[in-house]
Amino acid sequence: MKQKTELTDLEVGPAVSGPPTDPDILLEVRGLRTYFHVMDGTVKAVDGVDFSLRRGETLGIVGESGCGKSVTALTIMQLLDIPPGEIAGGEVWFDGRDLLELRPEELRHVRGADISMIFQEPMTSLNPVFTIGNQISEAIILHQHVGKKEAMVRAIESLKAVGISAPERRVKQYPHEMSGGIRQRVMIAMALSCNPKLIIADEPTTALDVTIQAQILELIKKIQADSGAALLLITHDLAVVAETVQNVAVMYAGRVVESGPVEDVLLRPQHPYTLGLLGSIPALHKRGRELDVIKGVVPNPFRMPPGCKFEPRCPYAWDKCKQVEPDLVAVPGRAALSRCFLHLPDESTRRAEFDRVSVATVATGMS
Amino acid sequence: MDEIGKARVVETPADLEDLLAAHPDYDVQLESLNQRQLAWRRFKRHRMALLGSTMFLSMVVIGIVGPQILPFDKNAYLPTNQVVNVGRPPMVIPYFHPFGETTQLQYDVFTLVINGIGLSLLISVGATVVATLIGTIVGGLSGYFGGWLDTILMRIVDALLALPLIYLILVFSEFLGGGNWFTVMLIFALLGWLQTARLVRSVILSLREEDYVDAARVAGVSQMRIIFRHLLPNALSPIIVAATLSIAALITAEAFVSFVGYGIDPSTPTLGNILSGAQEAIGAGNWWWAVFPGVAIVFIVLGINFMGDGLQDALDPRAKI
Repeated sequence: MKQKTELTDLEVGPAVSGPPTDPDILLEVRGLRTYFHVMDGTVKAVDGVDFSLRRGETLGIVGESGCGKSVTALTIMQLLDIPPGEIAGGEVWFDGRDLLELRPEELRHVRGADISMIFQEPMTSLNPVFTIGNQISEAIILHQHVGKKEAMVRAIESLKAVGISAPERRVKQYPHEMSGGIRQRVMIAMALSCNPKLIIADEPTTALDVTIQAQILELIKKIQADSGAALLLITHDLAVVAETVQNVAVMYAGRVVESGPVEDVLLRPQHPYTLGLLGSIPALHKRGRELDVIKGVVPNPFRMPPGCKFEPRCPYAWDKCKQVEPDLVAVPGRAALSRCFLHLPDESTRRAEFDRVSVATVATGMS
Repeated sequence: MDEIGKARVVETPADLEDLLAAHPDYDVQLESLNQRQLAWRRFKRHRMALLGSTMFLSMVVIGIVGPQILPFDKNAYLPTNQVVNVGRPPMVIPYFHPFGETTQLQYDVFTLVINGIGLSLLISVGATVVATLIGTIVGGLSGYFGGWLDTILMRIVDALLALPLIYLILVFSEFLGGGNWFTVMLIFALLGWLQTARLVRSVILSLREEDYVDAARVAGVSQMRIIFRHLLPNALSPIIVAATLSIAALITAEAFVSFVGYGIDPSTPTLGNILSGAQEAIGAGNWWWAVFPGVAIVFIVLGINFMGDGLQDALDPRAKI
């Protein structure tokens, strides 16, 4: 067992390859590895990420800062600077094609037309020297092969679709004349304008204030449902995930540690890290008590623990966790996958203890 | 009320208040100015810039129109007056020569200066346009792509910059056969893009990290379009400013090169050539031959520097109002 896992750790690239067999799967990421070669060594920002997304479905990627969730999105879109970045392995199957194998020219037609992206920072994601009408219609002209006038009409339509009033006037305005919320709506309109199959939203609400956050999330949900596009939502906010998506993947130290339907993951967490995250949410009835936090810090990227990456902080860890890294395996009796030895059949005693804490945590969290 | 449905545009809040006081039923909407209108508004407020551009533009007009009216013909010197062959000062000659006339061949200095302005501006503006184009393309590619392309291009720039420019120009004009104004312009252009390339590279280098570049890449915009349509407009103000200042520098450079005799054929009136011809005459008390072309140079260079200064403020897209 030990030997096998060590082998898995060394080998670059996943065991299976080739396009996903199920044509309903729009995006399948397998064994994705993205490294950054910096002065002090190599940072393995993403180190073996697997997940898949069906057409029209929504998937949330959650995790704390530095766990590699944004890098995953940037790798899918291939927006990384190479060097210092390096896509060290893996496959990104999108609609029957491996995005990592595409030539730049082909990739350009996938971007914008089939996949679009909503960024975190609406204040800086629009070019200050163009009117927003120009910016939206650029992609439309590029991918839909229509004239300038027609593109502007469609730009106005997409602004209307994201709930911007007087869009005919707005298209002639410059980004600096708009508030953050409106700019994020413009970004969403841009993402929407070419009817993409997949929308990647990288922390779309982080830079906005709370009331606007709710509006923007509602809007993203609505346009996702209306357009039938799949949505990949990257966030560190579990509440956002609970409200917005159907499936969720929890990332830690460049790996997916747990994934599955959102109710399963959030109500019956299977990985100690997920449980720790849920336990650390402040709640009204926890007033006055000390907040439960996950002890310790994210491991130094240059000194990753050899075994399970969560082992140094894990209250359930034992010797085995220090030596070998667990695989992402199906949890018996659940729809979720988890990267933890607790799910092995011979760990039933430890498992019982985990379940007891888990049920208690989720119960207090929900009440 | 025949005005219903008609739009009225007011520019200041005070005007708006007056209008609303008179017509309380008016519907008010904000119309935004585009970048060009905003820049013009900022430029108008800059007094020195207005003065400078007036100076420069009037020199341009003189340089274009003047030679049409008073073309220089090197055989058309005034009939030599043996008595005063040091040339005559302004206004004291029988017919109208406001800037006086030169020694020996007794050309009309006014005609010389007007033609000199035209030719000097043509050389410096032409060379600047070509140099700015080359510099922008080289700097844009270098800054955006980085890597080995950047290394190669910038080392070429470094190597060329290490050579003392003014001697390079002297050597070049010696071997390319100076004399022709077009050759001199070409030399200036081919040696003048280095600073622009460095400037554009540094600006693009920081602009490429902006989020809107990623947004454009995500939208499937091609790399070349990102450089030249998305980034360059943001870098335009330093480029324009550098170009205006380069025109000023080239006016003086041309004057210098022609003055030391490596520039344009002495029989062609550029401002530098006129000064060069005048240098002996100054000793003989013939001040007008040197002063008027000198004043023309000062006018152009000062005007263009003020104008560049104003443009720098006006074109900053982040400036308020």
